[in-house]
Amino acid sequence: MKVKLFSLCIYFLAVSTSYGQQKTYYNQTEFGVMFGRSENQWSGETEERSNFTMLTFHGARIAKHHVVGFSFGFDNYETVQIIPIALGWRGFLGADGKAQLVGGFDLGGGSTILADEEKSEWGRNWWEGGIMASPSIGVYIPATNGNTALTISVAYKRQQLFQFNGTYDRIDPSVQLASASLPPGFNSLTETKYLFQSLVLRAGLSF
Amino acid sequence: MKTPGLPSLLWIFVLALASLSCQDEVTTTHTFRTMVPVYLEMSDIRARTISIEPAKELDNPGKIYIYGDYLLINEPTKGIHILDNRNPSNPINKNFIPIEGNVDLAVNDNILYADNYVDLLAFDISNLNNIRLVKRVEDVFTHMYRHDTGQIITYKDSVLTTENAYWGGCPNCMFYTMDASRSFTANYAAAAQSYGTGGSMARFTLSSGHLYAVDESTMRVFDVKTPADPKFLKPIDLGWGIETIFPFQDKLFIGSNRGMHIYDASTPTSPTRMAVYEHVVACDPVVVNEDFAFVTLRSGNFCVNNVNQLQIINIEDPYKPYMMKSYPMLNPHGLGLAGDNLYIAEGSHGLKSFKVSDVMAIDQNQMEFLQSMKSVDLIPGPKSLIVIGPDGVCQFDYSTPSKLVKLSCIDVKNPIVVK
Repeated sequence: MKVKLFSLCIYFLAVSTSYGQQKTYYNQTEFGVMFGRSENQWSGETEERSNFTMLTFHGARIAKHHVVGFSFGFDNYETVQIIPIALGWRGFLGADGKAQLVGGFDLGGGSTILADEEKSEWGRNWWEGGIMASPSIGVYIPATNGNTALTISVAYKRQQLFQFNGTYDRIDPSVQLASASLPPGFNSLTETKYLFQSLVLRAGLSF
Repeated sequence: MKTPGLPSLLWIFVLALASLSCQDEVTTTHTFRTMVPVYLEMSDIRARTISIEPAKELDNPGKIYIYGDYLLINEPTKGIHILDNRNPSNPINKNFIPIEGNVDLAVNDNILYADNYVDLLAFDISNLNNIRLVKRVEDVFTHMYRHDTGQIITYKDSVLTTENAYWGGCPNCMFYTMDASRSFTANYAAAAQSYGTGGSMARFTLSSGHLYAVDESTMRVFDVKTPADPKFLKPIDLGWGIETIFPFQDKLFIGSNRGMHIYDASTPTSPTRMAVYEHVVACDPVVVNEDFAFVTLRSGNFCVNNVNQLQIINIEDPYKPYMMKSYPMLNPHGLGLAGDNLYIAEGSHGLKSFKVSDVMAIDQNQMEFLQSMKSVDLIPGPKSLIVIGPDGVCQFDYSTPSKLVKLSCIDVKNPIVVK
């Protein structure tokens, strides 16, 4: 990962002169709503959900129509708040100075650093984020002065999430069992895997 | 620069978006420890020859017993490790005696007593190169028998994973698999807690030529005046929930779920009850001297004490024990008494040592507080203080009681977890 970032920086420095007429740095910051369907865990009924989302992408123009960089944001799911962190690409289609189509892809993970870990003498409950993948398509509408642009995106976002509820062994000193599925010191562990799949509508600014 | 293929890429995205589902997926797996019953025919067990094996790595040690220059360490339900401890700075693992169903042991005059499910075995260990089974006393720990079939039932501690519905709906609920106190693991744990040379949580104990073995409700008395020929004398009913036994002088201190029983064993063949001190439960380790019992109570185990204390119980009149004083502690697990020096394993908080010559002022006589030495149990031995914790089985020089010096640690494959 570090090597990749390093080579990206080198490339960034190398190409920054050759596209003098276009800025090398590209930023796209958008806010929006994620729409999805979840199954109610008690009744089994399907419920619509809509959650706030925010994404900011920072990249370097590596070719006339291609930007690569990284993105992070904030996804407010009902159960937990996730900070997605990803490497991303944006590709443009259309003439300079006019509205362009933007395709994008972000691939990374979700951090659950905002989620509370509950610890007691009886057990521990915690969250772990999983893989996040999000292809998107949108429009890039430059302002008349040319420096900023309005962006509107439609994306699909796939986010994994793991919830762990563990109870400790109440027997002391606890006798350990070699088991890959149960961490040492636990009597039971419930792992709930979530896969959130959302349709995302976002709008924001690019400069 | 022209970038061919971009329109088609975008079309792929459009198609991909259209075909993707926005339905969330939730799957739950529940992994838990449980007891799987195992049925055995004792005739099969007895037919198997027990042959001594070379040294094995300690996996998950249970009771530790000090006998002369040797350490005998039980591997619950599997057997007994024998270690040469002539030099506590470098204990050498010598042998392993495989004994199925074994959880406890005691040594008397070079004879090792060990349980083998319902039988009591006696081994001659005078020559470690030639350990011999000299006696098998059959059908003494009869609580394991199923009366209808004559088979014995034992439980294997296992980890199971399920994806079942009864749990799946409520990821935040607390879930209890079974009453842990009833499990075989609780027995392992009782065996694992050895406080004092004989072990205050021991279920086997030797006193005045007799071997006492306690199970849930019964104390069994064996005459071992001829060490190689133990004779089963009788069972003594103790009431429910008995877990530990600790001898001191001519008394037996027996820990139960409800309290501490004090028995007069001056007539070794038939101990008689002197008193029951009801405010202490079996999870609470006890050590005693002539006048006082030292008990630690702590939160976080299944006894739900919700206090972390060292209690001093006056037993000058064993018929009328009473609590004299209690001191707040952090999370005391095991404790060990060596003369006037009391060592307390404070779990993840470390290890404390106190002078207890004045039991009313123990808090003012703290000698050391080694916060880095996470520990759950201690045994003050003749050569070293044995400390059990996440580092394995460690030995300390305590010839200067106020200054512990680490000598060695025996590695353990699955060490104790200190939370």
